[in-house]
Amino acid sequence: MRLTRRPSRRQLFRALAAAAVPPILSSFQSPPARSAFEEISPSASGIRWQHVAGLSPEMFMPETAGPGCAFLDYDNDGWMDIYLVNSGPCDFFQPSKPLRNALYRNNRDGTFTDVTDKAGVPGNAYGQGVAVGDYDGDGLPDIYVTQYPRSILYHNNGDGTFTDVTSKAGVAAPGWATSAVWFDYDNDGRLDLFVCGFLDYSKAKNVYCGSKQLRSYCMPNAYSPVPCWLFHNNGDGTFTDVSKESGIAKELGKAWGVVAADLNNDGWLDLFVANDKVPNFLFANRGKGHFEEVGLLGGVGVNAMGLPRSGMGVDAADIDQDGWLDLFLTNVDHEMFSLYRNHKDMSFDDLAIPTGIGAATMLLSGWGAKLFDYDNDGDLDLLIANGHPDTTVDKRIQNVRYSEPMLLFRHSGDKWENVSAQSGPIFSKDLAARGMAIGDFDNDGAVDVLVALNDAAPVLLRNNIGRQNHWLGVRLIGKKANIDAVGAKITYQSGDLRRTACKAGGGSYASAHDPRVVLGLGQRTKVDWLEVTWPQPSGKIERIANLPLDRYITIVEGEGKWR
Amino acid sequence: MSLLNRFVLALAIAQASGLAGPQANSASRPPTAASSVRNALAQSKKGYCKENLPALRRAMRGITDKELQYEVGMVTARCAMGMGDDTIAIEALLLLRTQFPADPEVLYTSAQFLSSLANQAAQQLLTTAPNSYQVAKLNAESLESQKRWDEAEAAYRNIVVEHPKVPDIHFRIARILLDKSATAETAEQARAELLQELQVNPDSASAEFVLGEIARRSGHWDQAIQHFTRASGLDVGFAEAYLALGMSFSAAGQDSQAIAPLERYVAIVPENPAGHYQLAMAYSRTGNKEAASRELELQRKTAEKAPLRRAPGSVK
Repeated sequence: MRLTRRPSRRQLFRALAAAAVPPILSSFQSPPARSAFEEISPSASGIRWQHVAGLSPEMFMPETAGPGCAFLDYDNDGWMDIYLVNSGPCDFFQPSKPLRNALYRNNRDGTFTDVTDKAGVPGNAYGQGVAVGDYDGDGLPDIYVTQYPRSILYHNNGDGTFTDVTSKAGVAAPGWATSAVWFDYDNDGRLDLFVCGFLDYSKAKNVYCGSKQLRSYCMPNAYSPVPCWLFHNNGDGTFTDVSKESGIAKELGKAWGVVAADLNNDGWLDLFVANDKVPNFLFANRGKGHFEEVGLLGGVGVNAMGLPRSGMGVDAADIDQDGWLDLFLTNVDHEMFSLYRNHKDMSFDDLAIPTGIGAATMLLSGWGAKLFDYDNDGDLDLLIANGHPDTTVDKRIQNVRYSEPMLLFRHSGDKWENVSAQSGPIFSKDLAARGMAIGDFDNDGAVDVLVALNDAAPVLLRNNIGRQNHWLGVRLIGKKANIDAVGAKITYQSGDLRRTACKAGGGSYASAHDPRVVLGLGQRTKVDWLEVTWPQPSGKIERIANLPLDRYITIVEGEGKWR
Repeated sequence: MSLLNRFVLALAIAQASGLAGPQANSASRPPTAASSVRNALAQSKKGYCKENLPALRRAMRGITDKELQYEVGMVTARCAMGMGDDTIAIEALLLLRTQFPADPEVLYTSAQFLSSLANQAAQQLLTTAPNSYQVAKLNAESLESQKRWDEAEAAYRNIVVEHPKVPDIHFRIARILLDKSATAETAEQARAELLQELQVNPDSASAEFVLGEIARRSGHWDQAIQHFTRASGLDVGFAEAYLALGMSFSAAGQDSQAIAPLERYVAIVPENPAGHYQLAMAYSRTGNKEAASRELELQRKTAEKAPLRRAPGSVK
């Protein structure tokens, strides 16, 4: 008789979850003099704006979903400005006093000035997120604000003001929009627009969730899914809704986050869309304006158990430098986040467990996320902003909280070390974080971070560690390719270090990053050369040598030099 | 049976008979048989269990009238419990669990009886073999169930000292180590315990399985494959071992190798979307698109039926 009793499936998998191995803090590392990331107070930055969610007893779902944020250089002065999204009037919310989004101009001394009123970009409904792109190719970034029940496009006039061109452009995307991304899906050199639709929602459709004793914010299962939107840029300031003919609208989802990147190296930008409680979408761009959804067999639609999770934030980057873009996805508590390695056949393997990212994120709910080289050592690291979407979760689920700390993983070789604990007090601070954008607001080459909090003031983090290594910042301007060079690749050689950085479109959650790319060099003191592969329809490859160090340069497609 | 017990039993049966059971269908038994059963029920309610239990037991399975079957089952269970006849009590409760799986009173009575049975057995063990390792193990298990990890681990380690050849103890220690702390160090300690378990008990499929999972979670696919292969060889019905083996093969890039264990898994557990999903991936990556589509469809169907994770007490 066998004496060993077979453990139940639940026991085994509980044991397995506990067996996941988080990285060990290197005890011999001496702490840096200053935190890797340092929170800049509102009094120091001048950013005194706060997000107001209008959290209500009726628990309307959009109340806990926002907001997003952006780094953008709206006045083209070479310094990153900031845009913050707020709630606003709609059928379920009438603010007691006027609310508005905020545009802060960078004063180039670490402080910002609120220029919203002059710029005319306050938003006009219940704001969620923001996407930035120069859709008309005039050299000035334009702003698309996702909102409920209609989104809004602000055209940059170039004189510090913007004009609401939503109606003319035809990109209102009625419904509840969350994230959006500018990218050139048909390789005509113009930026098109993809908008995530979340749920079929309105005040009249709001339902009661939770127990009789404790009402809670609903899970998305309580509502019907909706299609996302794809708008083709006609090149004359107008767009055509091509959601149906492109195959995008064929799939009904509950989309939070989106990233645009060429995942199969075929020269067409694909889309990875995070869905909540329905399978994520991997829209393979088949050319001729058509997308095919391949997420399930692509290994990113559902988890290893064949079940959909609550996808929220996303990103795409080549983490292992094999020439194929990998993916990152945040989920809610007890689902773990995913780090997907590209299998080079439009399918992916989840590395969350062997990297320790799974164990570290088991109880967290992630939104904004970004793979970037925060310490400029040449390897992509990972920063995640967390917070549970339900304000009552502390009372409902053991060990899960509404406000959660951020996470930072340092990547070296094939190891992902959770360095949150030694990277600054911000990583032990509980936040209701949502959108997150990266951007070098002080132009020191150390990429900083902006985190948008639900119903609170945003958090601006200065990166103190990136400047300890050498770097080169690159702004790309496409000519035949789309002007923002979304989809471009930059390969660079610095001594023994060769790396390729890819410029994905969108990513994170409801937010827009600094459009420049910072190339980390470690302690190397020279960039031997760099090569830009411009996205289609250009496809041109330009190699540039005699490059400077520790500063930003601009490369214009076709010029064959930097400036 | 004492007078008091008899009185309590009669009261319990009277209460049980008053419970609202399912609506009656038409009785299929002849009126005479039905009236005989009803007579036995009435007598039992007055405390005449001993005299009527055989008749109730005989009648229990053959009744097609759901209301009557419920009443007879419940009275039979309670009579048998009162009389200390565990066999008939279990028989009645199992029938009730099959026929009325969601009935709160059936579930409550079952829990009450089985808990009482477990307590009795534990008391008996303590009385008859107070110094046995089984008593110590029971104590350790109790501590473990209360998540008093350190005390439970110490209790298991005491057993190992006294009885080094007893199987399952190192496995339990490993499980505690993994439960109480998720570090590389505890995973390594757990691994060492599991290897010791295999020294004592080379047939432990569970130990092999958890060793495989520790390896899998570290990305050591080859080790994981070895352990899962042994786990499934030691226990051919160990479904999770096939799933984990297939997933490890896939992760190691050996998709064609993954197919056989995954096919075995879906044959054993066809209702789990995990097997269909993993199999679809393996088929797809080996070029069998048709089979991949078929499994994907099964994944969709089974995933739709999978229980939704929701908040306790959630009404939506």
